[in-house]
Amino acid sequence: MFHWLEKHPFFFSVLVFAVVAFAGLIEIVPSFAQQSRPVIGTKPYTTLQLTGRQVYIKNGCNTCHSQLIRPFKSETDRYGHYSVSGEYAYDRPFLWGSKRTGPDLMRVGNYRTTDWHENHMKDPASVVPGSLMPKYTWLYKNVADVDTAYAEQLTVQRFFDVPYNKPLPMKDGSKETVKLAATLAGARAEALADAKLITANMKDQDVKDMVKEGKIPEIVALIAYLNSLK
Amino acid sequence: MNKIYLWGVIITAVMLGFTYMSVLGSKGGLNGDIINILTVAAAAALVIITIFVVIKYVRQMQVDTATGELAEESWDGIGEYKNNVPFGWAIIFLGTMVWATWYFVIGYPVNAFSQIGQYNEEVAVQNKKFEAKYASITGDRLVEMGESVFLAECAVCHGISADGNDGAAANLNQRLEVKTVKHVIEHGSKNNLLYAGSEMPDRNGLMNANKNYAPITDAEIDTVASYVANGMTGPGADVFAGVCSSCHGTDGKGIDGVAPNIAEFTPAFVVNILNHGKKGVIGTMPKLDKLNKKQKEAVGAYVTSLSK
Repeated sequence: MFHWLEKHPFFFSVLVFAVVAFAGLIEIVPSFAQQSRPVIGTKPYTTLQLTGRQVYIKNGCNTCHSQLIRPFKSETDRYGHYSVSGEYAYDRPFLWGSKRTGPDLMRVGNYRTTDWHENHMKDPASVVPGSLMPKYTWLYKNVADVDTAYAEQLTVQRFFDVPYNKPLPMKDGSKETVKLAATLAGARAEALADAKLITANMKDQDVKDMVKEGKIPEIVALIAYLNSLK
Repeated sequence: MNKIYLWGVIITAVMLGFTYMSVLGSKGGLNGDIINILTVAAAAALVIITIFVVIKYVRQMQVDTATGELAEESWDGIGEYKNNVPFGWAIIFLGTMVWATWYFVIGYPVNAFSQIGQYNEEVAVQNKKFEAKYASITGDRLVEMGESVFLAECAVCHGISADGNDGAAANLNQRLEVKTVKHVIEHGSKNNLLYAGSEMPDRNGLMNANKNYAPITDAEIDTVASYVANGMTGPGADVFAGVCSSCHGTDGKGIDGVAPNIAEFTPAFVVNILNHGKKGVIGTMPKLDKLNKKQKEAVGAYVTSLSK
């Protein structure tokens, strides 16, 4: 039998491929399926948070800031609980990053607040002496792109079955629902309502005025995203 | 003499020369440092051993001839001797087998390693060390520890000198600012600092008992705010007695389970804020869950020491 295989290299190759591929499938797929399940307490992003996430990517925050806390005491002391794979279930793409010029931001929402981000993004060195981070002043003027974020939400809901408008279990046993508006106008209104909650804790008058006029500056969306990282 | 010895000597000399130039001849030199000395010694030894071994084997290739009985099979003209495996090799081979068995069965059993398990062990060891070294420290050492925790965790908002970074956070070099007290009186305090649901009412809920329970006035707020911020001195004692003392006590030192001590700045008060976070006139401060109990105590001791 094996002699026959050796004489027919093409079929032999196909069989070898099939055997190795099958072994790979039964090894890898179940483990992926298990570990990519969202952990309890993980929520999909709201429209404003997702807008902020795109601001984060657009400005290249992930080139200097990682979002992956490794299981070492030195890291968990500084950043909080180590990351587990299920926490990235709604991250498309995930923003693990590979270089920490700045600190990790995986759980920055636990230990920084809206007003801190507002001061920091305007002039990082004013709150962190010696900080290398540049000033991101344009975030206070540019209007954030809520429409694209809403499109992304609709897409992931439809194709990846991301559970918007469904009750999700939280760590304390309660249920929470992340709303997704049925129409674009609804999504804009919801994002604006969230933005108003954020600006209530901000000081910049221009930003407050913009939100009052119904425009959401990028900084507000970014802060909404950063506050959601927990 | 074979040419190869000559080359060996030349290459050794050149490499030792480079070593000399890069370390001993440089500005820093050995600097009397034991690590530097050992490193240079190791570099020299490496050069000499390498050259010696290379020469030995090159010579062996030049002079050695293979001997022994040839195996009967010939693979396209390539033969094989029937010699035994060299004794050293056999020992290493068997040793590897024993070691591999130990490795998989006893040392690091398959499936027994977990990254998280290793992390938990690391944390347990560290916590034990921390307990042994710091659990019982008090006084100046506690303040010192508080300072180092403060610099790592608190200075990003409150500034390295704790001055609040030009109003970005509270200035901790003074106990209280008038505007802070004023804000609390006007807006109340809903930070659940004492227990869940513990709230101080806003100005609409504050009445002056000495004036027939009339709601607190703007003038009264100004007076009593500076009275409290100045450490219960100056004008305003009458307003405090009428409005605040029913919860905070006549001396302002608080009543257990009802209201905190506002006459003094206590470490317990700071620990409370670290536990619950706080929203006040300047902005929101997050709670600091990542600090352990002793660290919070230490920060409390340090922060209260700043305004003394």
